[in-house]
Amino acid sequence: MPATQEISELLIRENINRAVADVFKTMLGRPVEMRAIDQREPQLWPPLPPPPEQGAPHLVGTVGFLGDINGLIYLYLEVSFANLCTARLLGMEVGSPALTEEAVNDAIGELTNMIVGVFKNGLCDSGYSCKLTIPSIVRGRNFCIGPVSSAQRHIYAFESQGHRVVADILMKNED
Amino acid sequence: MRPKILTVDDSKTVRIIVRKAFKAFDCEISEAANGVEGLAIAAKEPPDLILLDVTMPVMDGVEMLTKLKADPVLKGIPVMMLTAEGGREHVLKIAKIGVRDYIVKPFKEDLLVEKAGRIIDLKPLADGPSRIRSVDDPVEILVVEDKAAIVQQLKDGLKHTPWKIRGVPTQGEAIDSCSRQPPDLILISLSLPDESAFSLFRSIRTNVRSKHTPVFALVVKTETAMQSQAQQLGFTAIVTKPIDLTELESKAARAMNLDTSTRYFRTDDDCLVLTLPENCSAGVLAEAAQYLQPKLTEAVDAGRNKVIVDLGLLRTLHMGVIRLLVQAVQTCRDLAVNHSLVGTAQIIAECKGFEETRSWHFYLSIADAKAALGKANSEGAAPQLANAG
Repeated sequence: MPATQEISELLIRENINRAVADVFKTMLGRPVEMRAIDQREPQLWPPLPPPPEQGAPHLVGTVGFLGDINGLIYLYLEVSFANLCTARLLGMEVGSPALTEEAVNDAIGELTNMIVGVFKNGLCDSGYSCKLTIPSIVRGRNFCIGPVSSAQRHIYAFESQGHRVVADILMKNED
Repeated sequence: MRPKILTVDDSKTVRIIVRKAFKAFDCEISEAANGVEGLAIAAKEPPDLILLDVTMPVMDGVEMLTKLKADPVLKGIPVMMLTAEGGREHVLKIAKIGVRDYIVKPFKEDLLVEKAGRIIDLKPLADGPSRIRSVDDPVEILVVEDKAAIVQQLKDGLKHTPWKIRGVPTQGEAIDSCSRQPPDLILISLSLPDESAFSLFRSIRTNVRSKHTPVFALVVKTETAMQSQAQQLGFTAIVTKPIDLTELESKAARAMNLDTSTRYFRTDDDCLVLTLPENCSAGVLAEAAQYLQPKLTEAVDAGRNKVIVDLGLLRTLHMGVIRLLVQAVQTCRDLAVNHSLVGTAQIIAECKGFEETRSWHFYLSIADAKAALGKANSEGAAPQLANAG
């Protein structure tokens, strides 16, 4: 079984870049670009602490992958952008009453599922066989999700027409 | 029978996208949120196609597929995977259990519909509430012809109709055009280079949006081998060059299932008027005859019990016309409708030469015929009044 340490940062970056771009283009018809992260940026939250005093409410989709390699990906979006993505995905207007919190949670869960799917399919085809888990959602402001110390963490930021998306990848080291 | 599609996915979002994708097609969609629900729905009312996710709570897609294929009643239902699980190993493992197709998310709705259309017979829904389109409604006709003169000839020859003729010179442009918005009728010149007419036809028939669109072949009369090849492939009709535009118009209206009765029947106050055109070919007479009974019945049902048969435009009388007139008169009698005939002096004179029409009485104008029918109705006269010699 290949060790997590063997997976290069380049493979991870290429896979997540392809996954986010592919899902955004196919499902939302939106371009998306990876952008460099400057650790000094005040708006780095989320996912890194400390949160700003009045941080915008965020929605976080999570899907894991289990197998030769284990890990999970958190996808961070501002709630307003999550609403926009859901409306686009379901063919609705942004102000539609059908766009309930539950509908947005489900849509972002599915969007995350697709992104993690493309990401982990790339890993599978590179020899790291693994399966997806069921998505889950976190909503709120002024929070941060921390990794356990044994996990490798990779954070990538993306921009889609003025909206920010952050992918936080946690991969567990071999015991 | 409407095909039934069962979508099994724990994501309501995906189930909504599936419904949205098939919204324009005449099919029934049912939903299940996991394998257990999916099997129960499939057993209760077997669908024609199952769209199946893999990662789901309660029972995942692989288990559901395995159970489905082990069930002698359900194993024949085609299954198409629609899942984010797309690693080569997984796909091969699932394919071995038995699936008809495999779509890895993210997916385009068009791709889903196209692949489903290869398994089930999907028919596009008519736009808006269903209504029989008339020959006076605008329709789109795509002409795939590399000779601009032919396209122009068609545009000129059909300019009296509200039909929109659009010409494209190549197979590629025709495919692009059909996938954007399938026309109501496609005419393909068989003389396109490299036999591309036939590959275009196959492509049209495999596209779920255009597979029911009528397709005519345009071909030179003497190219019999090409004509029989087109017939074998299933072209709706063959139109030979030089093009007989009257014949083409008639064939096109039939192929597009257009109601052509407005060419012959109209209402004028409380009268139904049947007008025969200048030239009454066999095709024209057959077309008019097929509407006689339904149009007259419809008129009676709507409270119109006066019919005027107008031969004012007719150039000459022949046996075909006489047969239609006799049929019209008989239908009026059967329905107890008052009727009268309008004709020119020439037609009236010609009628004297035939046994069937010798005793018929004609008026020289519709106004006179209407006045006579109005008088007959107010006097409660017999329906045959206007027939009296």
